[in-house]
Amino acid sequence: MMLDFRISRRGVLAGSAVLLASTALPRIAEAQEPKKGGRLIVAADSEPRNLNPAIVASNGVFFISSKVVEPLAEASFDGKDGLAPRLATSWEGSADGLSVTFKLREGVTWHDGKPFTSADVAFSALQIWKPLQNLGRVVFKDLEAVDTPDEHTAVFKFSKPTPFQLIRNALPPLTAVVPKHLYETGDIAENPANNAPVGTGPFKFAEHKAGEYYRLEKNASYWGKDLPHLDEIVYRVLPDRAAAAGALEAEEIHLAAFSAVPLADLERISKVPGISVISKGYEALTYQLVVEINHRRKELADLKVRQAIAHAIDKEFVVKTVFLGYATPSTGIVPVNDKQFYTTDVPQYAFDVAKANALLDEAGYPRADNGTRFALKLLPAPYFNETKQFGSYLRQALAEIGIDAELVNNDAAAHQKAVYTDHAFDLAVGPPVFRGDPAISTTILVQSGIPDGVPFSNQGGYRNDELDGIIAKAAETLDPDARIALYRDFQEKVAEDLPLINVAEWGFITVARDTVKNVSNNPRWAVSNWADTWVEA
Amino acid sequence: MTIIHRFLKTPEGLAGALLLAAFVLVALAAPFFFPRDPLSIAGPALLRPFQDWSLPLGTDRLGRDVLAGIFHGARTSLAVSLAAAAASIAVGAIVGTLAGFGGGWTDEVLMRITDAFQTVPGFLLALAFVSVVGPSLGVVVAAIALSAWTGPARIARAEVLSIRERDYVASARVAGMHPLEIAFREVLPNALPPVLALASVIVAQAILVEAALSFLGLGDPNRVTWGGMIAEGRTVLRSAPFLSIVPGIALVLTVLGVYLAGEGAVETAAKRRSLA
Repeated sequence: MMLDFRISRRGVLAGSAVLLASTALPRIAEAQEPKKGGRLIVAADSEPRNLNPAIVASNGVFFISSKVVEPLAEASFDGKDGLAPRLATSWEGSADGLSVTFKLREGVTWHDGKPFTSADVAFSALQIWKPLQNLGRVVFKDLEAVDTPDEHTAVFKFSKPTPFQLIRNALPPLTAVVPKHLYETGDIAENPANNAPVGTGPFKFAEHKAGEYYRLEKNASYWGKDLPHLDEIVYRVLPDRAAAAGALEAEEIHLAAFSAVPLADLERISKVPGISVISKGYEALTYQLVVEINHRRKELADLKVRQAIAHAIDKEFVVKTVFLGYATPSTGIVPVNDKQFYTTDVPQYAFDVAKANALLDEAGYPRADNGTRFALKLLPAPYFNETKQFGSYLRQALAEIGIDAELVNNDAAAHQKAVYTDHAFDLAVGPPVFRGDPAISTTILVQSGIPDGVPFSNQGGYRNDELDGIIAKAAETLDPDARIALYRDFQEKVAEDLPLINVAEWGFITVARDTVKNVSNNPRWAVSNWADTWVEA
Repeated sequence: MTIIHRFLKTPEGLAGALLLAAFVLVALAAPFFFPRDPLSIAGPALLRPFQDWSLPLGTDRLGRDVLAGIFHGARTSLAVSLAAAAASIAVGAIVGTLAGFGGGWTDEVLMRITDAFQTVPGFLLALAFVSVVGPSLGVVVAAIALSAWTGPARIARAEVLSIRERDYVASARVAGMHPLEIAFREVLPNALPPVLALASVIVAQAILVEAALSFLGLGDPNRVTWGGMIAEGRTVLRSAPFLSIVPGIALVLTVLGVYLAGEGAVETAAKRRSLA
């Protein structure tokens, strides 16, 4: 058995906290006695249909259900390897990469009173994370069995060597444990607990009034000593982003996470007494602004055309204007704030319209009489204001190089279907998330052979055997340094061949009233359990 | 006194005509004053109005010229509203004539279909149609026409019911004309004037529906529309309210102009009748 100490995520996260720090007003944790009780009211901008984080590993779901259903470990600013224990108290990987042993927390009960045991972990891993979860499908693909020698030990057995580094990085987002006794009968996807989750977390799911609110109430028998502090968390559904700022000022809500307050409003609201703008607490959730490319289109299959598009985008302008400075220009497929895998040693595409035009001439697409070389369809993802605005910008940037891009606006469901199932796009703007390890949700953007319909994956028909080879090799390379070297190679090859174009990366902004304490104290704060959060009277 | 002269003598008519003339001029002049794509980036983002005289009304969040947007947006509003009014009047007149002239089962079936369309709120119908078919200019026109053709259909039918009993219609029958020929050659042209009076109402409604659809993100994203400009400005309503106010004013003035012109026309017609 070996424990891996070589890479400290402490340094990584400390460094990345600098990102966006210009507007951060992090509160200094004072030695103040937490007040017991009280209700925290936060803004929610969407109402996910399925609240089971074990099936749908996405931030929209975690935002609510992470308080109810817990993972094996949570991200942490100062924990070893950037982790803090939750349902697991320790984890160890074997030298051959074929097993990982978790010691589980004792004395934990589900919200319905039944004890939490290793059987629940085994069931969640084998029946949900591996076959059903959007991200678990990739990370746990070689998971063969989970042995449960006793009630508080779970041993994951893999059929092929699986890097312990990857499993560790995947613990916070991928390992929400759900109760076996509620899920073992019937269709897991149709289980009523998907809409009213039952977990071990500090809060119990109380009710959901569609279009109005979600209410969570204190779990009095939570395993954490004297936790949680709050009696209740209420998520007020405020789909209108402009409304969140007003509600904060009117003291109707205490906190709005995930940039629910529009970026353009932050400067103004930061001057309102009693309200703080906080950019900390999203370090492990880096969103990437990406131009997705359909390589089935003859023109886009040509590398010169893709290079021309990359040269046509002014990343500085995008960061300054679309994100109002609350973002960083991308250099490649791994975000700058990741210090484990990130490398600058990749080809760069400077903003250069003349060069882009020359490349297109060279590629054999001269301007016709009307100044246009060819036309294509551009589908900006509707999830964020910024993705939509970047779509409008990209249309103009492409017009400068003679590409006539027709914008097609869809709602979220229609966009997913058009891009990821029907492939009815030429270019799309997407916001994939980097989750601390390229193998979790990043290599899938490039890898070939992904079935149709998997969101945020390579659905552009791109195929590069060399890159597929590197991805496959890294997936079974155990030595962390060798793995990092492979992923650096991966970044370089991606930047060379441009299967997609990375434009910018951003974390989110939390706006909170100063009465809310212990905000943003871990790198996934908005999607962590909030057991230690409290509200000053 | 000519009719136009009389029309301009009514205060409503004069004000309406002035506003409409301005609107049409702005729409027609757009490509001359602003030959570039109005969606192109013209300057720094969020420039306030009256700061830079090359961008008199300022710029939006991406640095697009607001004045160019107003000019080109007028074109979209004009095109959509005229096309939608023409389409709904054409469809309404045909359906109304067929129902009124055909009578019996044809009338029953066509008028029940009309009723069915009238029971659904027009805007909801347009909203549903655009969200299913997908937003583009043609679809928006069709969606507005879909919700606006019932008024012309009912008026046309009422007119046709009285006209079809007239002597000249009977004589056409005796002359052996085909019933459809009678309906569209003899009856419809005479039934049309009161239907056309609805045009101003439909145009005004079409401008508003188009703006509302664009506001909800269901307009054609490749064109500037006033509704779309208001919607984009809404995200920065607190820090840059002019982005919503300027196109809002344009919208109000245009719709007001159309309504006033319509009122003026009614007034003129009423005076003419009382004079006669």
